[in-house]
Amino acid sequence: MDNNTSSFTDLEIDTFQELMNIVFGNAAADLSEVIDIYVVLSVPQLKMIKAAELPEFIQNNIKEDIVYNTIIEQNFLGNFNGFALVVFPRDNESKFITLFRENKDMFYECDATGELEKEILMEVGNILIGACVGKMAELLNDSVIYEPPRIIVEDIQDSGVYQKLHDPKNWALVLKSTFHFEAQDLTCFLFLVTNNESIGWLKKALNDYLRQFE
Amino acid sequence: MIKKILIVDDSRAARIGLRSWLLKDREYEIREAGNGKEALEQFNEFKPDLTFLDLTMPVMDGFEALEKIKQINPNAIVLVLTADIQKRTIERVSGLGAFKVLKKPPVKDVIHEALSEVRKYLEEDNLK
Repeated sequence: MDNNTSSFTDLEIDTFQELMNIVFGNAAADLSEVIDIYVVLSVPQLKMIKAAELPEFIQNNIKEDIVYNTIIEQNFLGNFNGFALVVFPRDNESKFITLFRENKDMFYECDATGELEKEILMEVGNILIGACVGKMAELLNDSVIYEPPRIIVEDIQDSGVYQKLHDPKNWALVLKSTFHFEAQDLTCFLFLVTNNESIGWLKKALNDYLRQFE
Repeated sequence: MIKKILIVDDSRAARIGLRSWLLKDREYEIREAGNGKEALEQFNEFKPDLTFLDLTMPVMDGFEALEKIKQINPNAIVLVLTADIQKRTIERVSGLGAFKVLKKPPVKDVIHEALSEVRKYLEEDNLK
């Protein structure tokens, strides 16, 4: 963890990581239902950084220019408030599409315009964000409302996401999970960008969650 | 009779929570392990009556740990407590000899119900 997570105690971080483990378990179960294959879960890695540092983080960790990755963005509203970004590194994006095509009859009829491929990535992103944010809110006794997801395949700098990231009050919770499918390993990143108020709520909610065991 | 319980989970929060609930139920001797490798060391030394085992862990996952625990003691009672709720995971650990698979997050009543099942099983086993 970075120094800037010092406002969280080790136990709070561990609790959040455990909740993410539960959340990714749910996401994997949902994904395996949709594409009818088995997902081998890995231990999710959690990191908290300033939102403004996110583009650089993505660039350094995904080893691709952020411009060339496909990103699904979805806003969520609740006590835990912000927006989620699912980033598919370039190679993995085509692997996800192939997997869906192999497993979903409906996609055999796909058009050649690439629109349906975007739909597939939107669906994977939507499942991950819904499972992650929704389940996390449920575990912490909150509920969230989602705005429709949107896909960013063009230059992210023109998309408006950068402006939101540069708000100094915003934090990014970086959750990296590799989904090992039987045939191949696919990696995608999930980023939850949130503000100071939501971080305060999150801290309190984590402690309330721990209190149930007392 | 359950006297000794081993809790295996990489999450300290999960171990604290489960330990706290178990000790409210009755007095147990409880030990903890943070991954499958540590679990095997503890299992050999501590010889628990019951093991709670997480699956997704670093160093050695719960699948491998369960397989090895069953090689050490085929009668070992292992309750798998996991977030991985895919059908095939449940089938796999059941095939490896898990007594029961419980879904995370743990629910107090479900944990106590599972303990009652283990007690009943052990009592019936003693009568044979």
